[in-house]
Amino acid sequence: MAVVVAIVTTVVLGIPIALALDRNARGPILVGLAYLYGTGLIYVVELALALIGVHWTALNVNAVTITIAAICFFARKPQSLVLSPQPWLSWPDLATLLTIYAHLTWATIARVWEWDFWAIWGMKARTFYEFGTIDWRFLESQWNGYVHPDYPLLLPMNYLYTALVGGEWNDRWLGLITIAFGVALLLIIRGLAAMETRPVMAATITFACALFAFTRFIGLAEGPMLAFAGAGLLFVRRAIVFDDDAAMRHGALLLGLATASKNEGVALLVTVVAAVALSKWRLLARLWPVFVLAAAWIIIPALHHIRNDQTRGNFVARVFHRLGAFPQIAAMLLHFLAFRWMWLAVLVALLIVPRQLRARERFVLLAFAFQIAGYVIIYCGTPYSVEWEIESSWPRLTFHLATPLLYVTMLMLAQTYDSGHAEARSEQH
Amino acid sequence: MRRWIALVLFVAIAVISVSTDAIVFKVAFANRAKMNHEFTTYPDRGWSSYPEFLESVRAHTKPGDSIALVVRTMSWDDGYSYAYYRAAYFLAGREVLPLLREDDMPLPQNFGRATYVAAWHRNVKDDTRHVVWSGDGGVLLGH
Repeated sequence: MAVVVAIVTTVVLGIPIALALDRNARGPILVGLAYLYGTGLIYVVELALALIGVHWTALNVNAVTITIAAICFFARKPQSLVLSPQPWLSWPDLATLLTIYAHLTWATIARVWEWDFWAIWGMKARTFYEFGTIDWRFLESQWNGYVHPDYPLLLPMNYLYTALVGGEWNDRWLGLITIAFGVALLLIIRGLAAMETRPVMAATITFACALFAFTRFIGLAEGPMLAFAGAGLLFVRRAIVFDDDAAMRHGALLLGLATASKNEGVALLVTVVAAVALSKWRLLARLWPVFVLAAAWIIIPALHHIRNDQTRGNFVARVFHRLGAFPQIAAMLLHFLAFRWMWLAVLVALLIVPRQLRARERFVLLAFAFQIAGYVIIYCGTPYSVEWEIESSWPRLTFHLATPLLYVTMLMLAQTYDSGHAEARSEQH
Repeated sequence: MRRWIALVLFVAIAVISVSTDAIVFKVAFANRAKMNHEFTTYPDRGWSSYPEFLESVRAHTKPGDSIALVVRTMSWDDGYSYAYYRAAYFLAGREVLPLLREDDMPLPQNFGRATYVAAWHRNVKDDTRHVVWSGDGGVLLGH
């Protein structure tokens, strides 16, 4: 199966990149990062070849990606003597494996069926594959506005990579790519959680995070967006909380790749800048990879006169006009909110945990709040019907940063329990 | 007290997580063959044999050809938009030309410009074209 070969190749290509950024990365974090970086490498190489006018073939795309991966492999620094602890398996990991299996069967029940797959993400991939490069005439055509020509191309580029590997377009198993992004995020969560809490707690956090890490929208760019945004935010959090240099490198690069996945990734850039400024402003300059990757997909479409449809007309005037109807908009947001019990539990948990823990986690809490506020502003400024926009996208958009929010919430609960436990034990002694 | 509430909430979130995901677990252990049929036909419900028609049109045309699309519903919101988007996916590499705008205004210039006309469940008369292929409820006309 070409998709499986492409996924395995992507992981292999990504390992040297992950090691070049963090020589001590091991275990689940290394594998999760390898897949995410591998998809980013394929995107960058295919985009670069297209921009210099070289048509893609399995040979030239693989030759360039392997060369870059080899350079990264030889450029890696010596391994440090102090390695991060490896996570021990715990019984909740079995439940996570069962969850992965369930999502895997769901995603591969049939050829990808979602409208947005065959009208947007898969459509571009198939068209570009047939054309051998980015078909700008297709994107610029007045008839093709429905494909959202301004949407970033990381996911279509990875779909067409599977076609290059297999020698033909086949959408039967492309749902596996959605699952691969979810698994990569869970591996990273499992590894990060193991560094901060007991194995059983870390495994339970990972299991719970699967709810948001796996999108139900198979074939759409929600999968990569959830993975890059979720992992990126958690690594920046680690850099802020533990002064971890390698984590900052991962965070900045992963958030940059989020901007290459969905336009919401660009909104996330603004959010992260604001949250870092309020949490540890001296790290702001280290976010430069996010700006570089975001700029690439802002400048290139602009050169082809491709515009974001949300900014059509007077966006600001629409926002101010609709602010008068904010109570109705808020009611709609509540009405279409998915997984309400989970949000309620998270809210109660945030009120229960000690204030110093909330203060420690302010980066993720602020980023989540800012991102949601940003989405509400975009709804207010949309040139389309607000109700239609909310109904069709709100359940998906609320998930984008839900994984890091759930992660820090559960981690704070675990630490609240453990610190109380430690206090009780010290009093007994 | 706080630590016990924290533990209860920690467990509750894990339980809510699995119960919210119940639908995915249900699908995972459902009749896979039946689900495969349902999901395969899901995008084209009410338009059975349209994908097969498009596959055949693809087999009888070559990359770079332009194809104007005529279907049983010549109204954008009543199905023409679906037919056009779906054709663009199946006929990737060719240029699919719509014969309607989103406001249902006809685009006759696209009919004249197209190398082929693909008509599904609709009769098209054009003396300048001949039948290249017919089947699956439709016909492909070319010069």
